[in-house]
Amino acid sequence: MTKIKSYYDGLVLGAGIAGMQAALDLAGQGFEVLLVDREPSIGGVMVGLNKVFPTLDCSSCICTPRMAEAAHSERIKLLTYTELIAARKQDQGFAVKLRKKPRYVVEEDCIGCSKCELACNYYTGHDFDCGLGARPAIYIPHGNAIPQVPVLDPDSCMFDGNCARVCPTNCIDFTQQAEEIEVTAGAIIVATGLKLSAMDAKKEYGGHEYPNVMNPLAMERVQSSNGPYGHILRPSDGKIPHSIAYVQCAGSRDKSIGVPYCSRVCCMYALKQAIMIRHQLHDAEVTIYHMDIRAFGKGYEQFYRRAVAEGVKVVKAKVARISEVENQDLNLRVELIDEGGRVADIRHDLVVLSLGTMPGWRPGGALPIEIDEDGFITIPEMATRPANSSVDGIFVAGVATGPKDIPDAIVEAGAAAMEAAMYLDRTRSHEAVPA
Amino acid sequence: MSLRVDPGVTAEFSLYGGDTAVKCFNCGNCTAACSLTNQDSVFPRRYIRYIQMGLREKMLGSLDPWLCYYCGDCSDTCPREAQPGKLMMASRRWLISMYDWTGLSRLMYRNEWTELLMLGIIGLVVLALFTAPSNFGFQLLAAHPEARQTVDISKFAPKELVHWGDLTLASLLALLLLSNAARMFVFVRRHGPSAPMGAFVIEAREFVMQGLTQKRWRECGTDSTKHWLRHLLLVTGYGTMFALVVVFLYWFQVEDASFHWTSLLGYYSTVVLLGATLWIIRDRMKKVDQIHKHSDLADWLFPLLLFLTSLSGFALHLARLLDLPMATYILYTAHLMIAVPMLVVEVPFGKWSHLLYRPLALYLVAVQRRARGAEVIRSGSASPAPAA
Repeated sequence: MTKIKSYYDGLVLGAGIAGMQAALDLAGQGFEVLLVDREPSIGGVMVGLNKVFPTLDCSSCICTPRMAEAAHSERIKLLTYTELIAARKQDQGFAVKLRKKPRYVVEEDCIGCSKCELACNYYTGHDFDCGLGARPAIYIPHGNAIPQVPVLDPDSCMFDGNCARVCPTNCIDFTQQAEEIEVTAGAIIVATGLKLSAMDAKKEYGGHEYPNVMNPLAMERVQSSNGPYGHILRPSDGKIPHSIAYVQCAGSRDKSIGVPYCSRVCCMYALKQAIMIRHQLHDAEVTIYHMDIRAFGKGYEQFYRRAVAEGVKVVKAKVARISEVENQDLNLRVELIDEGGRVADIRHDLVVLSLGTMPGWRPGGALPIEIDEDGFITIPEMATRPANSSVDGIFVAGVATGPKDIPDAIVEAGAAAMEAAMYLDRTRSHEAVPA
Repeated sequence: MSLRVDPGVTAEFSLYGGDTAVKCFNCGNCTAACSLTNQDSVFPRRYIRYIQMGLREKMLGSLDPWLCYYCGDCSDTCPREAQPGKLMMASRRWLISMYDWTGLSRLMYRNEWTELLMLGIIGLVVLALFTAPSNFGFQLLAAHPEARQTVDISKFAPKELVHWGDLTLASLLALLLLSNAARMFVFVRRHGPSAPMGAFVIEAREFVMQGLTQKRWRECGTDSTKHWLRHLLLVTGYGTMFALVVVFLYWFQVEDASFHWTSLLGYYSTVVLLGATLWIIRDRMKKVDQIHKHSDLADWLFPLLLFLTSLSGFALHLARLLDLPMATYILYTAHLMIAVPMLVVEVPFGKWSHLLYRPLALYLVAVQRRARGAEVIRSGSASPAPAA
């Protein structure tokens, strides 16, 4: 059984960079925080990234200290692999019902020795590397995972008991069941982040169909020093790519796939990845096909200029169709608008679809808040109270409210923590705080 | 060359069904999605840009809308849902209106009820011809009581008169259509690229070939073979019937209830016309393909009138074979009351005018291409490098 108090001042849903920041900022003001994530490790999307724009700082070098801080804070309780079932407003904050999914590993007993991982014989695509590398059926999510506790994936496990036999603390429990946890929270911060738009949303791009049409998060992993290949290679045959294309707006600003909004980060991450490719593969050509480059933040325009100066080709053209040609190369059919509207088929050996951002979680009936048409959480007073949802006491940070980059998500997390603190002060001053 | 900008063009264009032109943000997806675009022809984006900028003269001089067969690949993937395919359709309507010097096309396309009114008026004129006091129609029949007992069309609509009427009507329509096509030619020469005379002669075969086979359609996007074949069938059926009625009426119009071999050709036309028009009507109702998703009254009238013409023609044929004199004469009148207005309205002013404009446009494009090639050779400059 998970040991947990019956009351927390703040419940933070999602332990990505925004959720961790909100939890830390709230705990830093003396509040008790319950930080919940549905994945087996905290860290969210950011811990899987290679670099951040526009500084090209190492992403995990920024993210992992936050993870450690959140894990070690005396006022933050982590609950991983846990989902929200429902939260209802009551006289003292919110009555919250959570569901902790079975890891088949007793978290409290595990010492993170990795023996089970090494003993396992059954491998499948590694989730953390977007399926490119392999992982055993029982695995610690990744090297920087917190907690360093494995999770058993029953879909790829053959239950031969090898892991249980080698476990020194005898903590593997094949009979573990999901656990329902009830808790009261003074305020809630939603920081449920993003998921990328589907690779096959635009059928004419051949995502999922052609192996060398890649997901941008997979490209982040490929570029990372702790990635699946340790080098930039293309997935189909492991060759070093020489001509790489980025297809912008492959999942945003496109009414035909029901995503009319701009995802804000794709131009910048494409430029960043392009620069990183040129740093690692000096003779590789990188071309970014775009409708227009949106470099809106501090230092972003300079970053765009830097990419161009470093030899990244930036071409105004919306890619209409990608088709596979011999050698599993890819033909991109475009109208080159800056060349008098010439139609061209341009061949590349690797293509990255700059997918858009979509809400990572939809509350459904779990939270009594309003949701926008596009699935992001409604912020009634966007201009003046950007972290307040339609329900007093529920605050929002990060991509849960709309597409944004890491610095903006962190700023918003601070704002949400501040709003939550003021709300807690306001509501608790008249009543006794439960033990 | 200076360009005149006409800010009223977008508003005017929306009257022709082109209201989505303003949605376009010029990404070029449509041009690249199109399977017919190449070095010589770049559409729809460029034409939509003309509309947005109000470049009336560029629009008039462009042949691009005639190069599109509306497979709808562009509309399916347009990120702005600006429906470029529909805009090309609207452009063709707009161009037809601009080519037509009488102004009737303009009236018809801007207010679709005008077309119904015109059809109605001409239909009544035909009815009047058959009923008014003259040596023709029901008046002539009144003088020949024996023709009311057994079918004798010569006592109702004598061949000489009908043939004469056919030829007059055909020449009149041809004259109208040719004069409009001449205007199209002038617009293209004035506002488009120039070409030497030689090119016009050499490329004449393109006109004949495309006019007869419409083979370019087969290269157009998804499901093109189906649409091309259906259209070709329709053309053969229509062409056969046209030849029978206008050229070979002496053999085709049989006077009594007997069977004549020319009816076999008539059967072919009837089957093809009924089948193809029903197929088109069904697709328009079901909105299967992009080409049939947006139907204005004009789009409905075209297959509907053709269907009714064929149906009434076949009913007339049956009534004659069954020796039902009065039914035959009434159906004869009804048949012409549908067919004549359809031809008068559609051929020079409406949708059917494309039978001349489209091959002419393809011919002119071929001429321009040849002229450009000659220009490149003369100036010694290399043609634009093909894409890597």
